[in-house]
Parts: sequence; structure tokens; C-alpha cells
Amino acid sequence: MTGRSEMIRPRRAWAGAALAVAACVCGPRGWAQLPAEPAGAVEQLTQPTPHWVWVNDMAFFAFPDGKAFLVDGDSGKMLGMLSTGYSFTSVLIPKTGAVIYAPEIYFSRGTRGTRTDVVTIYDATRLEPVGEIEIPPKRASLMPMPGAQALTDDDRFLLIYNFTPSQSVTVVDTHSRKFVGEIETAGCALVYPTGPRSFFSICGDGALLETTLTDAGTLARRERTAELIDVLKDPLSEKGVRRGDTWLFASFEGVLHPLRATGAGVEAQPTWPLFTPQELAQHWRTGGLQHLAVHGASGRLFAVVHQGGPGTHKDPGEQVWVYDLASHRRVQTITTRNKLGSIQVSQDSQPLLFGCSIDSNRLDIYDATSGKYLRTVESLGLTPTVLVLP
Amino acid sequence: MTRDLARRVSRRSFLGNVGALLFTTGVPLLPVARGAAPTAARPDAAADPGDPQTCEYWRHCAIDGFLCACCGGSIQSCPPGTEASAITWVGTCHNPADGHDYIVSYNDCCGKSQCGRCLCNRNEGDKPLYMPFKSNDYNWCAGSKVGIAYHCSTARVVGVAK
Repeated sequence: MTGRSEMIRPRRAWAGAALAVAACVCGPRGWAQLPAEPAGAVEQLTQPTPHWVWVNDMAFFAFPDGKAFLVDGDSGKMLGMLSTGYSFTSVLIPKTGAVIYAPEIYFSRGTRGTRTDVVTIYDATRLEPVGEIEIPPKRASLMPMPGAQALTDDDRFLLIYNFTPSQSVTVVDTHSRKFVGEIETAGCALVYPTGPRSFFSICGDGALLETTLTDAGTLARRERTAELIDVLKDPLSEKGVRRGDTWLFASFEGVLHPLRATGAGVEAQPTWPLFTPQELAQHWRTGGLQHLAVHGASGRLFAVVHQGGPGTHKDPGEQVWVYDLASHRRVQTITTRNKLGSIQVSQDSQPLLFGCSIDSNRLDIYDATSGKYLRTVESLGLTPTVLVLP
Repeated sequence: MTRDLARRVSRRSFLGNVGALLFTTGVPLLPVARGAAPTAARPDAAADPGDPQTCEYWRHCAIDGFLCACCGGSIQSCPPGTEASAITWVGTCHNPADGHDYIVSYNDCCGKSQCGRCLCNRNEGDKPLYMPFKSNDYNWCAGSKVGIAYHCSTARVVGVAK
């Protein structure tokens, strides 16, 4: 033992001397010089994780300057942004994840001049435009919400709701990157895909308009269902979410309506109440801009709720009620730090719940399983609207 | 309760207020309201109570956007250099002064970027987008000659709802 100690001592002495010299040489300038850094460096994205989310900003106070922000929910870091033009709704992400589609509107003089509508194709790792498809200048300028646009189930065709105020749907072929045509949907609004070549729209009388496309993206068949919704007594909020073959819509009075796509068309499944009579009497209602989210694997439905009663169907809420879609029972209540109008839940086994409100420009992130608040990402645009998973 | 909440909530929800059918009495009235109407003097305050520059003003029961009265226009006229949308949504609002329900036409003023002042969103009678003429979530500048550049919204009395 003694011998070993003796061997170490000289080394310590040498190290101490070296440190003293280094301190003398570097002096007040620090321990080491920073290396020169390359000019012109630009980040590229990696493959998205299940916890990334796109926060779409309609920029209502600066309408020509729509944006989409990409955020990592785990770190709370903003990863990048797209500039997406006038009256922006949201990006669309195909399953391959290689590109991003953004329906965009531009005027030749900012807010006047010739209007040009395009679908811009962005590379998903560089966030640079790599293509552009011009479409008729008819895209609906509206409050962004799910249903304003969608990809068919095989991502082949992009469907965009038009309102001029005539109603129609623009079809874009993502393979050829060409505008295919326009399909009239007179009296019926929005697009809800039900398969690789089919979607439905909701009509003003409560019927559904089911549209089937050919493999070329043109109209193959169009059928109108019976009136499935009592639009005068208790209309469905158009902000539906999809789980498998079933679209889920909440009515203004808090009744959940499952609409299931079958080989024979869309069928209305039995409805069930989100609120007990007592809760309704206490004026609990769903509300917001994207007020429902669904976790597919667990069959959990997340709903933003508030106390307000009739006429408050756009009000944000400070609670998210979680339902088991199999039992129709409320299984969890998440009290949020801030009022939320839009929510989204990641689809992995340890899901995150994302929430934002058009009233503020922050994104709140929760553990979707426990409901625990995790973090807030501040300063994301002006008026964030729809949350989209990459 | 509803009204109180709607007044309290200052959402940046949006857009161009929309014209509509009136089903409140079960009878459809006008499918649309035409925007080009001559400017008239506003009735005296006793018959038309409230401040048109506030969200609480009775005619704003279903408005969604920036109030033109705050933007160089008035409750019934567009600010200089903008164009009144030709068609729009009409709501039904209760005038506390005379107890009547009035048809109110929320014509948008178009052709410039947002005014950005006196944002107001109230949703009494508002319906989803698939009922366009009852939904205030559309930008009705879509029907104007200058296109969808939305500036502000008026709230013009069209008549008494019967």
C-alpha cells in the first residue's frame, strides 16, 4: 500500500503544476479557445417521434402570414416552421412522412390582387418547398377545423373543401402532383374520409353525402343518406375525430354520435351521452375548435369540456374528460393549467396530450395516461388552431 | 348565463360573419341578406341602446369578428376603401329597448387586412359549417368582388323577426 501511495504522489504533483501553467496561459480568457464554426449551417430534421406535433397558426391578426410550427413534446423544443400563406388551416401528413402538404392561398399584392391557391409540398426533413400544385382559387376561408381538408386513406388523393359560397371539393392527385378536378357537394360541407376512394360530407338537412372516387380521382358515385342528424334540435359539432372505421361527433348537447363506414355506406351507430342529466343541469358542455381527440389503441376519447350551456359550443374549457369508448364511461378527469380549445393525443403506448387555445399562443403538454402536466411551449405564432400529428 | 359567458369570452375565433337562414321561428326567412344598402342615421339611444363599439351591444348576439364601428366604419357601414360583402349571414337579436327580435345582417367589409380592433365573438344561434347560412365560422368576403381579405363586420338591422 505504501509503495503505491508513493507512486501516485509524483503524478499529483505533476498535474498540479500543469494546471497552474494552463491557468497562467489562459488567464481571464477562459480554459480553452472555442473552435471556429462553419458558416451557413442549416439544421435538418430526423425521423419524427410519436411525440412531435404540428401547431397550425391561422394568424388571425396577420391573416396573410399563416404558419405551422413543429414541436417536440418531450423536450418542449420548437423544431421548425412553415410559412403557409393567407387564411391557413393546417398541414396534412401522409403516412410515409416523407413530405408535408399545405393548402395555401396567396394574393399578388399581399391582401389584394390576383388570388392563387396552391398545395405546397414540403420535404419533411428540410422543411423546404419541393413542389407546388395549383388548384382553383376556391378553398374555403373559414375557422380552421378538422374536416376542412383530408387525405384519402391510402394518401393518394388530397381533398379540399371549397366555399365560394358554392360548395364543392377539390381533388388533388398526390402521385402525379396534379389537380384532378372539382366535385360538387351542393348543400353539403367538409370532407371526412372513409376509405382509399371514399369520403362523406355533412349536409345542411342532417343527411350525409357519400362520395366515391375512381382510381383516377374523378367522381364514381354519389349518394345521399337519410337525415341522420336533427340539425334543428341538437346539431352535431362538425369537429369529429376518427377511430378506425368510425367517425365520432359530439352534439351541442353532449351526445356522442358514432358514424361507422361499412361496405354498404355510412351507418349511424347508437348514440350515447357524454354527460349525465345532472351534469347537463350543471351546464357542462363540450366546446372549442378541436374539442375531441381519440387514442386509437386504448379506445380512450378525450373531450374538452366547460360549464356554459347552450350557445357556448365554441368556448374553451379547463377540463378534459376522458371516456372509455367500449363502456361509454368517463374514466378520468384532467384539470388543465390553461383553457384549451384544441387537443390532440399521440398514438403511442405512452401518449402525450397536447392542448392549445386560439386565445393564446402557448402549447400545453400533459401525460395523457396520468393527466399530469408536463410542460408548456410558449410563443407559437398568434392564434394557434388545429393540432396535427406527423 | 349563455350571454354572460359569450360576452366574457374573448376568443379570437373568427371570421367573417355569415349570413343565414332564420329557423328560430321555424320558418325560413331570407336565405341571404344583400349588403348594398344606403347608410341611414342610427336611431336614438333610447330605441337602440348600447355602444356599438362593445361586444355587449345587443345587435352583436351572433357576431364573430372585428367591429367596424371601431375601424372607421359604423354599425351599418364599412370603413373607407373597403367593400361590403354582397351576401352574408343574418342573426336574430333581441332589442331590450322595445322587446322585439330583429333580423341583423352581419355584412363583412372586405379588401384589406384585419382591422384588428374590438374583436367580438358571440354565438347565440350559431350552427356548424354544414349549415352555412347559420354559421359564423365562414369568411363571407368569399362572396365579395375583392375576394377573401377580411377587414371587419357590421351589424345592420334588416327588419323585425316575426
